[in-house]
Amino acid sequence: MNQSNLNNSHAHVKLGFIPLIDCAPFVIAKEKGFFFGQGVNVTLSKEASWASIRDKVAFQLLDGAHMLASMPLASTLGVGTVRTAMQTSFTVSHNGNGITVGNGLYERMQGVANTPDELRNAQALKRLIDKELDSIFRFAIVYPYSSHNYQLRDWLAGAGIDPDKDVQIIVVPPTKMVAYLQQGEIDGYCVGEPWNSLAVEQGIGHMLVTGYEIWGNTPEKVLGVNAQWANQNPEIHHSIIRALDKACSWVQNSDNTNELLAILSEPDYLNCTEEQLRFGFSEIKPKGKFDWPMEAYQIFSGVSVNHPSPNYALWIVSQMWRWQQLARPVRLIDTINQVYRQDIYCNALDRQLEPLPAFMNSAEFDEQKWLKSALEGRLKIHPHGIEKGVVF
Amino acid sequence: MTELTVMLVDNEPARAAIVERAMLDNGYRVIRRLETTQHLTQAVAECQPDIVIIDIESPDRDMLENMSRLSKDNPRPIVMFAEEDDSSHIEAAIRAGVSAYIVDGMQPSRVKPILQVAVARFREFQALRTELDSVKSQLEERKVIEKAKGLIMKHQHCDEAAAYKALRKLAMDRSQRMIDIAKNVISVMELMGDSK
Repeated sequence: MNQSNLNNSHAHVKLGFIPLIDCAPFVIAKEKGFFFGQGVNVTLSKEASWASIRDKVAFQLLDGAHMLASMPLASTLGVGTVRTAMQTSFTVSHNGNGITVGNGLYERMQGVANTPDELRNAQALKRLIDKELDSIFRFAIVYPYSSHNYQLRDWLAGAGIDPDKDVQIIVVPPTKMVAYLQQGEIDGYCVGEPWNSLAVEQGIGHMLVTGYEIWGNTPEKVLGVNAQWANQNPEIHHSIIRALDKACSWVQNSDNTNELLAILSEPDYLNCTEEQLRFGFSEIKPKGKFDWPMEAYQIFSGVSVNHPSPNYALWIVSQMWRWQQLARPVRLIDTINQVYRQDIYCNALDRQLEPLPAFMNSAEFDEQKWLKSALEGRLKIHPHGIEKGVVF
Repeated sequence: MTELTVMLVDNEPARAAIVERAMLDNGYRVIRRLETTQHLTQAVAECQPDIVIIDIESPDRDMLENMSRLSKDNPRPIVMFAEEDDSSHIEAAIRAGVSAYIVDGMQPSRVKPILQVAVARFREFQALRTELDSVKSQLEERKVIEKAKGLIMKHQHCDEAAAYKALRKLAMDRSQRMIDIAKNVISVMELMGDSK
């Protein structure tokens, strides 16, 4: 469909979202008319699980969705699901995760910690696991192919804890995290906001470390689309990206926070009180044992935020390989180029944008060596962020 | 070949009952039927079903996604649907609102008939519910029209037939539905404090 057709009659697009604070750009693009202004009539569909998002996009009950940054990769690779080509050309948010433990585990960790740092880098947990051989330590994540899972595992492994043998990792829907922690079903979790702050505020647990402190700035949610749909509807796809780009700057502008909370809290979206959402967006967090560094907060806008990052995609596939979620080696470079589409981002926004340099395209990149290092857990994100590379 | 065992997870007890009945009629063994549960993965580990049928809208689905990993707690990995060459059946299931997790390595030919039974019952239930919803909304509409009629009778001191005629005329003049006119009449009367 060309641009003039778009203007004559609005194209219809169905996008899914999970009611989490980082669905905000989708909701705002709809409610503030940014989608409509781009000539697209978007229906937003609230979904109950990531699995539902994935399946509906795969079988085109939805054209695209608010997705975990790893989901288009997992679907294209057929990890844990039927193989379906998906793409992302726009990153919706960075950061925002935290690891929280319940009061019970916190106290036990404190009992064996020599310094507060040992609570934060999981050394105290390691000592506790070695000491209490019969105890079961159960942690929750929101989805097996997610930053939450990989950050939690990286954090544990960094202290010499084997995430598959020394602890149990289960999946719990984010909205149930705090209740599970309170009931003692789980000892801790890695999840986005506001669920870390709510546990702290309600006196149920303590946030130990943020995702930012584990990985630096990294993409969190993306616009994920069915590749077949994207190939058939390039102009509409571009329009969606432009509307989301506008919505992301709107969300990032703190002058809009009150209006944002009012909209997001509505029954059609997160269906909660504005106060419950405030911790996700405001600079004020409940006073806990450890503070959130300002950089650890969710970020929605900026070229360095919204640009699809092949470096991060490479990192994510490496994590899938590291934790044995991939049954066989994959062609890393081909997969990433197919899924993380910088060209579409640049075309859609019509700026003089340069593609991000991808270190997998550098002369010294050796795929076999890379996969081997990933499996051995020797890859670390560069201290100055994923775009600076990876250290062995 | 041993009979396959099925676990059903559905927040809609009426639908679960229909699906269970159909499973039994077709010779499958339903070993557990659950509504939303905190202990879904535990229940799967305990029951060791060959196939888990779960409502696609269930918020608990993501819990099952984690079971595809082979571990000591989970000797039989559970995967979403089965083989990828079967995608038209999977699509039909998803459109009907059925998702299924199957013990890894099971032949698609054994899974397909079970899935078909579930899909057929889910569709049947959807049709029943649509019908029920339409009956319900007709009843609701009738109540609203009755109320509007009563208000007109009281206000205009006329009989029921005249009130009905007045409503119908308004609807025809404005080419609106009777129910919308009735709602307008009620809200205007309420505004005038005349709805008691």
